[in-house]
Amino acid sequence: MSNSLSGPSNFADDGSAVIARQIEVHHSKLASEAQDKINACSDIYEIERTVGAIKERGYKRIALQFPDELLPDSGLVAQLIRNQTGSSVFILADTSYGSCCVDEVAAQHISADAIIHYGRSCQSPTSRLPVIYVFGKEPVDVQDCATVFDGFFAQDKAQKVVLMYDVIYAHCVESLLSTLEGEKSYTNIVKSRVETESNLGYVLSSQDVPKAAGGCCQKKSETLCRGNKQGCSTESSSSSCCRSGEKSGDLTCSSSAGGCAKATSTMQQTGAVSTGPTTTKETPGNNKRRRFGRTYNLPEGDSIEDYTIFYIGNESPTLSNIMMTHSKCDTYSYNPEKKQGRLESAQVNRALMRRYFLVQKAKDADVIGIAIGTLGVASYMTMIQHLKLLIESKGKKAYTFVMGKLNVAKMANFMEIDCFVYVACPENSLIDSKEFYRPIVTPYELEIALSKSREWTGDYVTNFQELLPDDDKIGADKIKISQAQLDAASDREDEDGSDVDSDEDDRPHFSLVTGQLKQSKRYTTNKKDSKELSALIEGSKDLTLRDKNTSVATLMSSASGEYLQSRQFKGLEVNLGETPVELATEGRAGIARGYKTEDGYGDREKEKY
Amino acid sequence: MVNFTIDQIRELMDKVTNVRNMSVIAHVDHGKSTLTDSLVSMAGIISSARAGDARFMDTRQDEQDRGITIKSTAISLYFAMTEEDLPDIKQKSDGTGFVINLIDSPGHVDFSSEVTAALRVTDGALVVVDCVDGVCVQTETVLRQALGERIKPVVVINKVDRALLELQVTKEDLYTSFQRTIESVNVIIATYNDKVIGDVMVYPEQGTVAFASGLHGWAFTIRQFAVRYAKKFGVDRSKMMEKLWGENYFNPATKKWTTKSADAAGKPLERAFNMFVLDPIFKLFDSIMNFKKDIAFKMLEKLEITLKNDEKEMEGKLLLKTVMKKFLPAGEALLEMIVIHLPSPVTAQKYRVENLYEGPMDDECAKGIANCDPNGPLMLYVSKMVPTSDKGRFYAFGRVFSGTVRAGLKVRIQGPNYIPGSKTDLFVKSVQRIVLMMGRGVEPIEDCPAGNIVGLVGIDQFLLKSGTITTSDTAHNLKVMKFSVSPVVQVAVECKNPADLPKLVEGLKRLSKSDPCVLCFTSETGEHIVAGSGELHLEICLKDLEEDHAQIPIRKSDPVVQYKETIQAESSVTALAKSPNKHNRIFMKAIPLGEELTLAIEAGKVGPRDEFKARARILSDEFEWDNQEARKIWAFGPDANGANLMVDLTKGVAYLNEIKDSCVAAFQWATREGVFAEEQMRGCRFNILDVVLHADAIHRGGGQIIPACRSAIYGAAYVAQPGLMEPIYLVEITCPETAMGGIYSVLNKRRGHTIGEEQRPGTPMYVVKAHLPIAESFGFTADLRQATGGQAFPQSVFDHWQLMNGVSNEDPKLIEKVLSIRKRKGLKEEIPPLDRFLDRL
Repeated sequence: MSNSLSGPSNFADDGSAVIARQIEVHHSKLASEAQDKINACSDIYEIERTVGAIKERGYKRIALQFPDELLPDSGLVAQLIRNQTGSSVFILADTSYGSCCVDEVAAQHISADAIIHYGRSCQSPTSRLPVIYVFGKEPVDVQDCATVFDGFFAQDKAQKVVLMYDVIYAHCVESLLSTLEGEKSYTNIVKSRVETESNLGYVLSSQDVPKAAGGCCQKKSETLCRGNKQGCSTESSSSSCCRSGEKSGDLTCSSSAGGCAKATSTMQQTGAVSTGPTTTKETPGNNKRRRFGRTYNLPEGDSIEDYTIFYIGNESPTLSNIMMTHSKCDTYSYNPEKKQGRLESAQVNRALMRRYFLVQKAKDADVIGIAIGTLGVASYMTMIQHLKLLIESKGKKAYTFVMGKLNVAKMANFMEIDCFVYVACPENSLIDSKEFYRPIVTPYELEIALSKSREWTGDYVTNFQELLPDDDKIGADKIKISQAQLDAASDREDEDGSDVDSDEDDRPHFSLVTGQLKQSKRYTTNKKDSKELSALIEGSKDLTLRDKNTSVATLMSSASGEYLQSRQFKGLEVNLGETPVELATEGRAGIARGYKTEDGYGDREKEKY
Repeated sequence: MVNFTIDQIRELMDKVTNVRNMSVIAHVDHGKSTLTDSLVSMAGIISSARAGDARFMDTRQDEQDRGITIKSTAISLYFAMTEEDLPDIKQKSDGTGFVINLIDSPGHVDFSSEVTAALRVTDGALVVVDCVDGVCVQTETVLRQALGERIKPVVVINKVDRALLELQVTKEDLYTSFQRTIESVNVIIATYNDKVIGDVMVYPEQGTVAFASGLHGWAFTIRQFAVRYAKKFGVDRSKMMEKLWGENYFNPATKKWTTKSADAAGKPLERAFNMFVLDPIFKLFDSIMNFKKDIAFKMLEKLEITLKNDEKEMEGKLLLKTVMKKFLPAGEALLEMIVIHLPSPVTAQKYRVENLYEGPMDDECAKGIANCDPNGPLMLYVSKMVPTSDKGRFYAFGRVFSGTVRAGLKVRIQGPNYIPGSKTDLFVKSVQRIVLMMGRGVEPIEDCPAGNIVGLVGIDQFLLKSGTITTSDTAHNLKVMKFSVSPVVQVAVECKNPADLPKLVEGLKRLSKSDPCVLCFTSETGEHIVAGSGELHLEICLKDLEEDHAQIPIRKSDPVVQYKETIQAESSVTALAKSPNKHNRIFMKAIPLGEELTLAIEAGKVGPRDEFKARARILSDEFEWDNQEARKIWAFGPDANGANLMVDLTKGVAYLNEIKDSCVAAFQWATREGVFAEEQMRGCRFNILDVVLHADAIHRGGGQIIPACRSAIYGAAYVAQPGLMEPIYLVEITCPETAMGGIYSVLNKRRGHTIGEEQRPGTPMYVVKAHLPIAESFGFTADLRQATGGQAFPQSVFDHWQLMNGVSNEDPKLIEKVLSIRKRKGLKEEIPPLDRFLDRL
């Protein structure tokens, strides 16, 4: 994601960048011979499994989502599926956000029953549609990998290691594990699992649920939202416990999950073992952890801090994500393409400290832009609502932006925003905002910056669902408190609306960015403001004195209005009588990317032809 | 025994003509605090027996342990003049009781900011000079600062006992040494004198120079002796004073005064100063130190000094101390000098107001200040924060320039960034309590009228270090203090236990409040940085942080210095940058600003707040700018006031005004993070030569212009012989000749560069001056001690930015430097290629 950010804006572009863009295409994946091709295709894209799942559940309209680099194969895959299931199959076009996220909105355009997502996935839980993941398989030299593993851990065979991997290497993990545990006699290796399906229980159980879930998300009413959240989380936990169970149990379990209540009971059955999107808090007895769709079971009494992580895959947002959230563990990686292994964790602390600086910047911000980077990840609407509430409770101003993929040019158009918070799937949240005019933080960072109940501890959360209050029972207490405080704060504000003098509110804070005291502007419309406003409206019938700028408008806690005031250029000025009359002269000719009058115009023309 | 009460002082505070606000300033180890003890003992707070070794004003344990002052400390003293002395006071006064608000300041250069803060709230300065060491670098610095603030100096030549006991000089030698010291002080005063305060040079014959021994607790001015002899000779006091200094001789044979050093017969005559002033002192010293007690007692009788019985039993130095203290009590002589010669607030504020107040000179606040009017609008300058016993809270320490501050008063608190008429950096709060700062303790008072120094309780939350407190809605700020030192040395600190982070952050906040100079912030890499003026300063700050402010164990990195990026020539080609959509083009060239203009901007002589026509005139008159160009300065940067300029040289570009805000934003950003090492830029001028903009407003928004303008600036700097500047210390080292070899070898090892070496007249000591890169200065003091057997003491103060040899992207040494900075900052360890910034048409 971050790579594509530096590219030119696709807004009002001539399109050449898109055409010239180099995309790595894996033509080698499929053999050229037609029959081989089909065989290879069925193998790599797991046609059999998908078809089986589709038939089993009777999906009629199916959306296929491919990342750019796999698009060449999409036609064949679609054809195969259509032929084998008889359902209508659609290939989704370019996604608005990262291709790792499931694009539910696009799928809804064609009212699909299910989405099949191909390629790398961030495994963010979705809220509406059932998803089948097909990762594609990349070859791994298991022996070599095991040798590299040996190189790192040979001294202590009992060392506790968690095996993680990029989804495309999921297929070989079993064999690697058996090699390691068998030949090499390692004793304490924990394997993580990835989901290959999600939300399957949803549609089968009842058609109402997805609708309700989708509908709830839009609703602003907090209670409803919370209810919805609960629903979502139980759903995902139910599916996660299904995964841990045997395949047949999967079906029965999900089909019996007729509603939220049932799902909850499933959760209770599995007890402490099952968790929704887990929190970072270690709870005794609960050693099953799930992050970015990865699940691993730690033996009783162990905490993740004791473990070393061994990651199979090359550098990717997934890896950095894992490292950020497991900053206390050493992380080794094995790159199957280059067949190299290395220690990765050295950079993690630096990366974390950089994020810490961004937290400080967010603390100083008066106007915060909420940039939306997903329409697929479950409960993103609740998150946005939560962030808005949080920002406003601090008297700051929030604006919401839906701007597709982020890029420098787009973001710099909003100079009045002091800081952006990016609501996206975990893998796309971490944005190196160095080149951006304003910092971009994650919801977790904003929470640390604004909420008193959270402190920077070095733990890191990229999955914003973990921040939501009431999301699950375990570990949510802390957040609940924050929510309570938040509410209390807003309550107090309502009461104290008239008393702006209360010390707590307008006391400046010590900014660690500048080393100075920072006085925060307060944009919240409180009672006093609204009183003023009504007074203004009443008074507007009378004659009003114009101020210096001949404007009669009063800007009521409007951040952008204030910014406009501070700008030097406020629009074209009509300087009647001051501008000398001149003869019209010939202007520029040509197109904007190179006018005819400019030097080098001729050269460029030559280049063209 | 306290010989005054708070009530007495409070009463006197109303008589502003009888108030003196003064600071004691000097080079390190010239004896400020010890001398101050004598004054404090006079006012009766500590017993006079311990004066000289108590260091009452050094309130902190580490100050006592190290024997240096770190924080400036204030105290109010009471002094009663005799009726007959009153006519000597040339300004208005009222009654014989005087209150003296005294601030003892640190002498070490690293703590110069404390001196600045002290000077701001005082009107006069007692400049202490060691009679053996003479005028040193810090003496000059503080004197210059005092004069810059329009503060009147009087001089004390201290440690006269050393000259007598250790160096065993003759009377005439001592006289010449005094004279030389006074001359060098006067040279400095003449150089930096501000005509508005009039002639402030010091003259012994006028009584503005005192001679003292802080350690022994005695001091005198010519006046003291003149008073004694005036009776005897039956002449006027002032006449007598003139006779007792300079080329005046008394012929005992003829009983006549003459200005020739020999009588008619050619026999040499003794100088009057030597005969009447030094002779009795020399005799006393001689008789007591050589155990000729009978002679001594005879003299004492003559001098009308009576000793108690137990004192008569004393011997040697102890006796000498007792006798001299009775003969010439330091407190009396100095307080008298202060009262007579230093201006009262009423006198001083008349000429200081222009220097103090930012607003127009005819508004109510300016008038209130000029008249020191207790009934005017309140104008109070908080110059520093003093920690209270309550952890995390501070007294706001400052001076009332106009009006009266009282507990419960609702005031406007205007921070340094306050702009009149706006709400930025402005708070309206009540003052909870008012206190008098009395050395180690505080005394609560009800209210405080203009002209006095106070501590305020309850407003510390709203000011970081300094600010203006007022009751007038239209008041402008009192001018922000300009420090002679800047925080150029920085270390990164982290807490050993990650869970202590909130405490560390709170500690950093308190630390930056408690010190006028220190800077605490987070670097882009997320490290907590503490920046101070020197190694000692940082050491003290970190110790405070660890022990007082945060109270957690901390870990610190090696100190690092900041560099500046600059350019050494005009851009070799015009830099062109296109906007991301390729539809807007900016053409730019960079030209060096020139060191003179850079310094002028840094000194605030040329700045963004100036009226643009006046600024253009200065630029064209003094810096050879084209007048038209000088009017088209778009911005100063970084932080809107740095020493880089962006100038618009375009002609007839449509919509240019529209992109100005975006360009300025890009310029601020680019000058804050230079192209190579992301250090601030310095001394660069960026000319926008031409701009091509898309006709459609949506395609030339900030999003397009900011990245384009930023890369144009980077490109222009890249092709203009980019260079790095490093900060340089001016080091002054005093040492005996034997230690010189050691000094040179240490300096050479650290890229030091000697600029001067001279023998201090009349002493075996040499003074070596050198320039030393700050980056090489860490551990310098310790090294020097080791190399010279502890005989050499350096004083280092930031002097200038020096260009390092070579071009940033060519010279291998500089590339290495740049890469190491980039590495420390966690940036990609490569020099960005030029084609990243330059586009082709």
